[in-house]
Amino acid sequence: MKEKKVKKDIRSWLDERSGLSVVFHFLREKKIPQHKHSLWYYTGSAILLFFGIQVITGFMLVFYYNPTLEEANSSVARIMTEIPLGWIIRSVHSWSASFMIAFVFIHLLSIWITKAYRKPRELTWMSGVFLLVLSLLFGFTGYLLPWDDLSLSATKVGTDIPRSIPVVGAWVTQFLRGGEDVTGDTLTRFFGFHVCILPIFLFALLAVHVYLVQKQGMSLPLDLESKEEKVNELPFWPNFVYREMIVWLVLIGVLFTVSIFFPASLEKAADLMAPAPEGIKPEWYFLFLFQMLKIFPSKILFMNGDTLVVLLILLGGIAFFFLPLIDNKPTERKGKIITVIAYLFIIYAVGMSVWSLL
Amino acid sequence: MKLRHSLFTRRQFLNGLLGGWLGAFAVSFLYPVLKFIFPPTREPDEVILPFADFQDMEPNTVKNFAWGNKPGILKRNNDGSYTAFVGVCTHLDCNVTYLPDQRKFYCACHEGWYDENGIHMAGPPPRPLRRLNLSIEGENLIIKREGVE
Repeated sequence: MKEKKVKKDIRSWLDERSGLSVVFHFLREKKIPQHKHSLWYYTGSAILLFFGIQVITGFMLVFYYNPTLEEANSSVARIMTEIPLGWIIRSVHSWSASFMIAFVFIHLLSIWITKAYRKPRELTWMSGVFLLVLSLLFGFTGYLLPWDDLSLSATKVGTDIPRSIPVVGAWVTQFLRGGEDVTGDTLTRFFGFHVCILPIFLFALLAVHVYLVQKQGMSLPLDLESKEEKVNELPFWPNFVYREMIVWLVLIGVLFTVSIFFPASLEKAADLMAPAPEGIKPEWYFLFLFQMLKIFPSKILFMNGDTLVVLLILLGGIAFFFLPLIDNKPTERKGKIITVIAYLFIIYAVGMSVWSLL
Repeated sequence: MKLRHSLFTRRQFLNGLLGGWLGAFAVSFLYPVLKFIFPPTREPDEVILPFADFQDMEPNTVKNFAWGNKPGILKRNNDGSYTAFVGVCTHLDCNVTYLPDQRKFYCACHEGWYDENGIHMAGPPPRPLRRLNLSIEGENLIIKREGVE
């Protein structure tokens, strides 16, 4: 009895000063609609799960990693061979990155196809596109840090791509590389991006994104929204959270299984003067871009092939960012065409990626 | 409030003054930030190498040297002369390799091909490999950027 009173006193003391009871009240009242597309509601928290794992394993790796030309590769080798359980930590970090990006794609495609970005959720989508870009930048900068042959070539190509952007391209390349060429400075700079600059932006945008999702509530599929009858709902707390936890446990199980049976590899240290190794490949989420750069001829009309690829990607990205404003009549013919484009885009990206592996 | 012959009100004047001051303040901070972010890395004007290291090269072979942060490639041609290239693909900056049996330069990143003179012949490269000027003075091999006297 007395214990209960102490708890209540602490709670009211905190609430008087923080006003947090508003948040708890909101979460207790929050409802999740139940329908045939409800499964997609779980993808957002799956991304959060993998991001959380990235943060924790990232903190751990920083304890031993050394972001310099001389030490980077050997410090990763030390993590893999000498530090107790270091190989698991690094494998989990590497695999969890892939899982996170995979779920970012699933999350995004589900929203694209169910058109959940339609009014009033345009800003949620736009903040999400920024989060996608940040996730890809995390992957790109992290890929260099082991400083082996593969990661060096991937970084040389990746940082040279922006050079084709009109006007600012050369500056972007120099900014990313910390000079004209990829050197030890690039490595140190990428480490700074990866562990300091990108996380700050990601946390800030994530806060905006999650706030907007709470503010708008869960989106309903188009066909349900127009119906009169009431949709079944599930309380967010505790019913939905418990279900999410089941999903999390399964995902953690899969993550650790692949991390242990297919641990992250480490090639020999990169040599700035050595030729690019045979069969270089970027991470799987850049394969479609890699294949485009490979198959575009050196000259198309009056442009370099790679300039055209970069301009296409840039224009595609801008259209993608403004998609909710372009797709402003989701139930009409235009909206249906945009859904078909979504499926074509998936087929194209998967097709190009598979082709690059052949 | 606006004086009779004035072009703008007192508020507009003060806002302009304050805004201009803020703008100048921001620029005075941004300029050093930008200067700091872009380090002064210039390609070397010339590299001097001991000719003795390259004298005994067989025809149709290459040796690498450091051209700043990039690999330079010195190739001995069939007639015994030498050619120096910057060993970096003109497509997306990967380091190239020379395949003597095919007499071609090759970039593994996106399968770019150059002939033995560094002229792009297949794949995505848009331009020939960059050449460097080369002269032998006494015991030294002097490699210069094109256009440097």
